[in-house]
Amino acid sequence: MVATVGAATGKGAGRTPARPRPRESARPATSRPSSWYLAPAALFFGFFAAFPLVLVVYLSFTSWEGIGDPTLVGVDNWVRLFGDSRVLDVIGTTLLLVVLGWATQTPIALLLGVWAAGQQRNRAILSSIFFLPLLLSTAAIALMFNRLFDPYFGLAAEFGPFQNILGTGPGALGAILFVTGWQFIPFHMLLYQAAARNIPKVLYQAALMDGASGFQQFRHITLPQLKNTVITSSTIMIVGSLTYFETILLLTNGGPGTATYTVPFEMYIRGFRSFEFGYASAIATVLVVVATAVSLVIVKFSGFTKMRSTLEGM
Amino acid sequence: MSTLPRRSFLGLVGAGVGAGLLGTSACGTDATGGSGGDSGKMSIWVLQEEAQNVAHRVALDAFNGRSDVTGELVSTSNDGYRDRLHTAMGSTNRPDVFYNWGGGSIRSYAREDLLVDLSPHLSDNPEWKDAFLPSVLDAGMIDGKYYGIPARGMQPIILFHNKAVFADEGIQPPTTWTELLSAVDRFKNNGIIPFALAGGDAWTELVWPEYLVDRIGGPEVFNAIAAGEAGAWGHPAVSQAITMITDLIDRGGFGDKYASVRWEGAGASTLIAQGRAAMHLMGSWEYTNQVTDQPEYAKKDQGFTAFPVVEDGQGDPKAIVGNPTNYFSVSKSSPNVDAAIQFLREEMASDAYIDAWLKAGDVPAVRNLEERMDKANDPAFVKLVYDMVADAPTFQLSWDQAVERNQAQPMLDALAQVFLGKLDAAGFVKANEDAA
Amino acid sequence: MTTARAGTPVRTRPNWLAGGFVTLWLVIVGVPIYTMISWSLQTRDDFLDHGPIALPRAITLENIAGVLDTGFVRYLLNTAIVTFSCVALTLLVAIPAAYAIVRSTSWISGFAFRIFLLGLAIPAQATIIPLYLIINRMQLYDSLTAIILPTVAFALPLAVLVLAGSLRDVSDELYDAMTVDGAGPFRIMWQLVVPMSRGSIAAVGTYSALGAWNQFLFPLILTVDPNLRVITLGLQSYRQEFQINLPGMMMAVLLTALPVFVLYLVARRWLIAGLAGLGSR
Repeated sequence: MVATVGAATGKGAGRTPARPRPRESARPATSRPSSWYLAPAALFFGFFAAFPLVLVVYLSFTSWEGIGDPTLVGVDNWVRLFGDSRVLDVIGTTLLLVVLGWATQTPIALLLGVWAAGQQRNRAILSSIFFLPLLLSTAAIALMFNRLFDPYFGLAAEFGPFQNILGTGPGALGAILFVTGWQFIPFHMLLYQAAARNIPKVLYQAALMDGASGFQQFRHITLPQLKNTVITSSTIMIVGSLTYFETILLLTNGGPGTATYTVPFEMYIRGFRSFEFGYASAIATVLVVVATAVSLVIVKFSGFTKMRSTLEGM
Repeated sequence: MSTLPRRSFLGLVGAGVGAGLLGTSACGTDATGGSGGDSGKMSIWVLQEEAQNVAHRVALDAFNGRSDVTGELVSTSNDGYRDRLHTAMGSTNRPDVFYNWGGGSIRSYAREDLLVDLSPHLSDNPEWKDAFLPSVLDAGMIDGKYYGIPARGMQPIILFHNKAVFADEGIQPPTTWTELLSAVDRFKNNGIIPFALAGGDAWTELVWPEYLVDRIGGPEVFNAIAAGEAGAWGHPAVSQAITMITDLIDRGGFGDKYASVRWEGAGASTLIAQGRAAMHLMGSWEYTNQVTDQPEYAKKDQGFTAFPVVEDGQGDPKAIVGNPTNYFSVSKSSPNVDAAIQFLREEMASDAYIDAWLKAGDVPAVRNLEERMDKANDPAFVKLVYDMVADAPTFQLSWDQAVERNQAQPMLDALAQVFLGKLDAAGFVKANEDAA
Repeated sequence: MTTARAGTPVRTRPNWLAGGFVTLWLVIVGVPIYTMISWSLQTRDDFLDHGPIALPRAITLENIAGVLDTGFVRYLLNTAIVTFSCVALTLLVAIPAAYAIVRSTSWISGFAFRIFLLGLAIPAQATIIPLYLIINRMQLYDSLTAIILPTVAFALPLAVLVLAGSLRDVSDELYDAMTVDGAGPFRIMWQLVVPMSRGSIAAVGTYSALGAWNQFLFPLILTVDPNLRVITLGLQSYRQEFQINLPGMMMAVLLTALPVFVLYLVARRWLIAGLAGLGSR
C-alpha cells in the first residue's frame, strides 16, 4: 500500500538535493519543532479516521440493528458475505466504473488540458465555460441529470435512444460514467493545463527545428513531460471513483434493479435501510480492502519513486 | 403486518408477528438518554408532503396556543424517512413524536423498549379511543399494546383513471382482470400508456403483487409470509401473480420506459394528468397530490375505482391493500411524554383536524365521518375510501412495511428484476425464500 | 501553480481536430447547463407545454421565491459554517503537522508521515457506521460539529502531504537564519513556514473547502434536524418539495451553485491556481 512505499523514502530526507548544505558546525543548532506539533493532527486523524477503521472491522463480527448495543456473533457475517453472489456483482460494478471512468476521463482531460494551455483564440472564455461544472456540488449534478434523463419530460425525451437510459443496466452505467465525467473532467483538465504550461518551451523549439509535426511534438514531448501529472490525476480519479455514493443514490438509486449498486451504496443499503449494520460493516471492510488493493496496483504501475514524488508533490 | 380482519384488525398484529419478540423488551438500552434537547420543545416527525402537512399545522397551532410545550414539525422526504428515523432512534436524540406505519416499521423500537405504551392512556380515556375506527387503531398494535395513534387518512391502494381518456375510447374502467387486459391492449394500440408507473422506485411496483396475491389466494397467503412460515413464498398464488404481472408487462401495460421514471420526479402523476397514460394503481395520496399539483385534472378528469376482480380467485374482491393509516408514536425517552400524549389526545380526533384532512383529500380514520363528509372538496372520493375500508374484510398493510426490514429490501430488489423482465415467477419466489 | 508562462507549447497552424473536439466538449458541458437555466426560469405549465429544449417564452422569477421560501438561506448558512470551520481547522492542524514532519528529527515524524500516506487510501464512506456509533456516544449526534470533525480528519492526509511537499523546498539557510535571529520553532512556523507555503495553503484550503461544501454522506447520517441541513441535503429535500415541478427543482440546483459562482467571479485566478496547485508541482 501507499504507506509502506512512502515510509521507506519519506523520512523528510531527500528532496532538496541541489541545494548546498550550510556548514552546520559553525552555527548554533537550528531550532526544530518538537513532535508535539503533530499532536493535534494525530489526534484528529487517529480518533475520527483510524479508530473508526479498526472499529468497522470489529463491527463486522457483530450483529447490530443500529439501536442498542452490537453483539458479537463471530464470523457469521463473513460466512454470509463469502456466500453472497451479490457482493461479487457489486465489486464488479465498482471496478468497472473505476476502469471505464479512468479510461474515458483521462484522455479527454489530458487533451483538453493541453489545448487549454495553448494560445488559441477564445481559449480563455471557453476554459471559463469548461470550468462551470466544478461550481456544482455532486448532489446538485446528480439531481440535475436525474431530471434531464427523465424519459417523458427531460432532455432525454428529445433524443430517441436515450429515453430509457436509466431503465437499462448498461444505459444506467453509461449515465453514471457520463455524469461523473462531466463533473470531474474539468478538475483534471486544470491539472493537465497547469502542468502543460510548465513544459519548457525550448523543447518545442528544438523539435520544430528538427521538423517534428504537431502530433510528433505531442507524442514525444508533451506526453512524456506530463507523466507525473498523469499519475497524480489518475490516483485522485481512481481513489475517488471507488467511492461514488451520492451520484448513485440520487441519479439511479442503484437501479434499474440492482444494476448500479456499488460497494459504498450496497453498504449504505444494508446498513441504513435494512438495518443490518454488522453485515454492512463487513462490506465496508471489503471496501477498505478493495481500495487498498487498488492503491497497491497504482504503486506497482507507477513505481516507488514516482509514487513518492507524486504524493509529495501534490 | 398481516392482513387485518375488519372487526379485529388488530388482534392479529399482536398475535402473529409481535409475539415472542417482545418478551425481552426490558433488556434494552438507556431509554433515558435524554433526547431532543430542551424540554420546552417537542419535535414531531412527519413526511415532507406539503398538501398533507397543512392539517398537521392546524393541530399544532391549536395545541401550541394552549400548551407550555411548543411542538415543531420536522419533515423529511418520503424516500429516506425510515433510514433517518432509524439513525435518530439509534441515537440519544430521538424525535419526541414520530410518524410510522405500524407493523414492521416500529417493531424493533417496541422490542428495544423505546416507545411509550399508549394502552393505559387509551383505556383511561374511552372517548379518545372510541373516536377512531377500531380496525385502524388496532392495526397499530404490537403484541397487544397500542404504540400508535392514527394520525392521518386511510390509504388504500386505488385504481385511478383519467376519465377523459376512457371517454375517448368509449370504455369503462375495468372491473375484472380480463377487462383490464383488453383495456390495456386497446390503449396500447392507440398510443396511450395503459398504466403510469414510476418504476425507478420499486415500492410503486409492489402494489401489483399485493393486490393480485390477495385476489388470487386470499389474505392467508401473505399472512403466512409475514409470520415467517417456511415455504410461504412458495404458495402458487405468488407465482401466479408474478406470471400475470409479467404478462401485463409484456403486453406493454406500463409502456416501455417506466424503469426510468422516478416517483419523486412525479412523472407518473403528470403522465396520467396529461392524458398520456390512462390508469395509475396508487395509494390514496395520489389523489391528494393531484388536488394540490394539478387541480384542474383532479377536479374534472380524475376517476377512481377499486382493484378489479381476478376470475377464479379465492380472495374477497372487497379486500383492500395499502396503509391503514400513518400513526404517531411517542418516544419513551422524550422529556415531553405527557405533552406528547396530551397533543395526541386533544388533537388527533379534533373537528378542525379532521376537516383539514378532508379538505386536503385525505379520509381520516375516525368514526361517524359520514356527518362531515360534505366538508370535503370531493365527497365522492371520501365516500369511496370510507366505504372501501368499512366494507373490506381485510386491509393488508403494504408488504414492505409488514415484513422485517432485512427482508423488505431483497423483496423490492427481486420485484424490480421482475419488472425489468430479468426474473420469472420461480426466480422471484426463490430470491425471497433465500432472504427469509 | 502556474507561475512560468514560458512553457507554453508552440503551435504553428490551426488544429482542426482539436477544434472539433473542443466544440464537442462545449456542447456536452453547455447543453445541460443551458437546459438547467432555461427550465428554472419558466413556470411549470410553460415548461410542460413547450418541452425541454425550447427557449423560455416568458421569463419568471417565481421559482426563486419558491426556493428561498423553503429554508434555502438556512441551508446555505449551515454549509458556510461547516465549510469555513473545516478549512480553518484543517489548516490549523495540518500546518504544524507538516512543519514537524519536515523539520523534526524525531522518529515520530517519519512514522506520522507514513500514517498520513496510509490515510490517503482510506475511503471515508467505509467508516460511516463506526462514526455513527462514535458520534452518538460522544453525544454529538445531530450537530454541525458531528459533520465537521470527521470531515477534517479525512481532509488531513492530503493537506499534510501537500504542505510537507512544499516545505521541503524551503532551504535550510532560511531556517538557520531565523534561528540565528533567536526565533523559536513557533515563530519560525509563523514567520517563515506560513508565508513560504502560501501557494500550498491556498491549494489545501480550496480543496478542503470543496470537500466540505460537497459533503453528503456525513450530514445525511449524522444530522436529522432540518435546521441543521446543509445545502446538499437541502437539495435532497427540494427533490420532494418540487416533486412535480421540474423548473422549481432546477432553480434549487442552480441557486446552490450561485455562491460558488460569485466566489469564482471574485477570485477566479486564486481558485484555479489553488486547484491546479494540487497537481502541478
